[in-house]
Amino acid sequence: MKRRNFLKQSTLASSLFFVPNFVKAFEQVAKKSLGYKKLVIIQLSGGNDGLNTVIPYTNDLYYSNRPELSIKKNKLIKVTNELGFHTSLAPLKNLYDQGYLSIINNVGYPNPSRSHFRSSDIWQTASGANEYLDTGWLGRYIEQYGKIPYMGIELDDTLSLIMKGKNSNGIATKNPRTLFQNTQTPYFKKIINHQSDSHLSEHNLGYLYKTMIEAKSSAKYIYETSKIYKSEFTYPKNPFGKQLKTTAEFINSNLESKVYYASMGGFDTHANQANRQSNLLKTFSTAMEVFVNDLKQHNTFKDTLILTFSEFGRRVQQNGAGGTDHGAANNVFVIGEDLKTKGFYNAAPNLSKLDKNGDLIHTVDFRSIYATVLDQWLQVDDVSILNKSFSKLDFI
Amino acid sequence: MLKMNQRHIQHLYWRAGFGIDINFLKKIQSNSRLQIIEELFSDSEKIIPLQLNLSEFTSIKNKSANALKKEMGEQAFQKLRQRSQKKLRDLNHAWIERLSESDGVLREKMTLFWANIFVCRDNHIFHIQQYHNTLRENALGNFRNFVKSIAREASMSKYLNNKQNRKKSPNENFARELMELFTLGIGNYSEEDIKESARAFTGWSFNNKGGFLLKKHQHDFDEKKFFGKKGNFNGDDIIDIILEQKQCARFICDKIYKYFVNPIVDKNRLEEITSIFYKDYDIKNVMTYIFSAAWFYDDQNIGVKIKSPIELLVGIRTIVPVRFEEKKQFNYLQKMMGQVLLYPPNVSGWKGDKSWINSNTLMFRMKLASLILNNAIINLEEKGAFEDSFDTYYKNVKKRNRYLKTSKRWDVFLKKYGNLHPRQLRDFIVMSKLDFDTETLLDGLEIKSNKDFCIQLMSIPEYQIC
Repeated sequence: MKRRNFLKQSTLASSLFFVPNFVKAFEQVAKKSLGYKKLVIIQLSGGNDGLNTVIPYTNDLYYSNRPELSIKKNKLIKVTNELGFHTSLAPLKNLYDQGYLSIINNVGYPNPSRSHFRSSDIWQTASGANEYLDTGWLGRYIEQYGKIPYMGIELDDTLSLIMKGKNSNGIATKNPRTLFQNTQTPYFKKIINHQSDSHLSEHNLGYLYKTMIEAKSSAKYIYETSKIYKSEFTYPKNPFGKQLKTTAEFINSNLESKVYYASMGGFDTHANQANRQSNLLKTFSTAMEVFVNDLKQHNTFKDTLILTFSEFGRRVQQNGAGGTDHGAANNVFVIGEDLKTKGFYNAAPNLSKLDKNGDLIHTVDFRSIYATVLDQWLQVDDVSILNKSFSKLDFI
Repeated sequence: MLKMNQRHIQHLYWRAGFGIDINFLKKIQSNSRLQIIEELFSDSEKIIPLQLNLSEFTSIKNKSANALKKEMGEQAFQKLRQRSQKKLRDLNHAWIERLSESDGVLREKMTLFWANIFVCRDNHIFHIQQYHNTLRENALGNFRNFVKSIAREASMSKYLNNKQNRKKSPNENFARELMELFTLGIGNYSEEDIKESARAFTGWSFNNKGGFLLKKHQHDFDEKKFFGKKGNFNGDDIIDIILEQKQCARFICDKIYKYFVNPIVDKNRLEEITSIFYKDYDIKNVMTYIFSAAWFYDDQNIGVKIKSPIELLVGIRTIVPVRFEEKKQFNYLQKMMGQVLLYPPNVSGWKGDKSWINSNTLMFRMKLASLILNNAIINLEEKGAFEDSFDTYYKNVKKRNRYLKTSKRWDVFLKKYGNLHPRQLRDFIVMSKLDFDTETLLDGLEIKSNKDFCIQLMSIPEYQIC
């Protein structure tokens, strides 16, 4: 058969489209209520310099370690009598003033890795430094509580470890229309439309068919549900703004997806950090404020929690190139409407007690944050997802 | 004389290589199984290292970083080093090309296999190229020598911090992964064994050229206790003692079985090949045994393994000769499917099988044949890297051509496959048994050209399996 005919036939097939029962069954799974709470995870990829983000402006050690790179007392937004925000964070300060922001200082884990890849994996899988897990913590959440891929959406075209489970995964898309189109290619569509429900048991072949059907069904659901709502807010015209805008459209169109993940790149500032980081933080905080306002307008902010992390912070001492090298503990931003602890959750980093590399030592394990979010926000069993019990914090 | 049917030869060549060309199959079909297997191995006897032209970087190899900095200045040195690190991509491309070009398919397949056992990552182009060739050189050799060579490699020494392993402050990273991931598997040694063996590898270091160097003043020559034995062990002794454990042979055979036979392990078969391997740790012997075993050709072992992205890509090229005009586009394909050679995710490597598959990768993989062979439009972007600036992190799509630039030799394909009955073509391309509905669909197609049918066959879920 000629390709042209093949195409023609598939167009024909679409008009006779029917949904097999078992596809419906997949779609039903998600219907059992998991509540309305949404979780949005943002990774500042590359390792954001937390010390120049939230600045300990009364600490002499901060200034002596960073003769050129430190931010002067009169060039920052003072927030408490010892900590201030980078001026690019003015939009974030607005959120802070409304009580929508909680900052957890010194977050990390024992024996921190300074490799982007490794540390990112550790944060994404919620493993210890000596463990190699092949599933992500959101992936395990999806596996246990939603099963269907659209329960977790990554705002990208490929799926990160954080969204991977053993037999169920989240789904990645930064453009639901493209995702949908890709399930409508002649070959893909034709095969799926010919499926009945009798033979999904074969080990690997069955898994492929299951995944294919779920992909198609998730893509369709995401596209058709979210296309009814287009955000009227003006987001900054950059890819990160676009990621948040799409996320807002997903949430505001009442998509049942529970967890979202987006990564914003560019934070690996080994050289000429000052300008670069300033632009990055501006991009981040401007988009974030619009995002929150967009959600508020649609009454979904109360059900959304936004967590921002970086795979590590940076060294206290600046390097010779006007930048900073890979470090360890860092701050985490929690954004939401009804936070229990507004503002700073805990004490500022201790710059007089560093590890042998000259990096901040963590006082809060990142998995305690995850445990808190799973238990108190998503209201699921954190131990079965994190494989271990971590003490809970008190911020939500 | 035991003959092989076509399906069995295909099976052998999918597992030992990346599928088989039909003319080659016709050529060997009249041979006995024994002859076919002998030829498979003899084709792989020659070791042809992968060597890039790195002449512009020889100074990096011959002088220390400090000496170079002094000589050419900090900035010029950094630039040189960055340029040399970019060569890793060329090595990656050369590797992928090699997989399609080589006659020694088994050696290449084994090299790929070992690269996911002795997982390592390094951006020093000389060291990683040498490491890579050590894998190829030992791929069918003796496992004992193999482990000892790996333990001496500069790239490995850096990757698992053995260069920081000194008598005064031992670093256990290498010793731990040696046992956990390279030889025994977790739970088959004690923490005490790790501590003691780490001491035996103290001072194991390397020179600029990537050669092994024992730093005597950093080496701990004292007595160690390891697996119940006492002695002034060095690293080689430790490896010998590890290999005395039958568990070591079992651990490697388990990996071999999953990779070459079936992702679901048959315990009896595993014990059977473990005993073979344990005798002399000869890799060629155990592989010959497996490929010669009747059970290797059992129906339950054929068409049940999910192809890795590389197997998928190279497999398509086995049937249709394709030249990639822009080697850079290899990066795109590898990233989208989640396997970039030389860039393993971590020391435990790629998990393989089901873990290759999620909604996104499956849709992409099913579109791969169209992308490569039929000018399908690229509408997805790969992720940026950690080190990228904000603009680079997101920029990819603007710059990239919206198609894969490939030239396809359909004439070659048609000469070989053009006259096959569609049913024959189907059986030649698809190893998995067919889903009932998909089979009905294929049977109902009116097939006018084997070229189109080939692309269609490569676009069904069954083609993801070998």
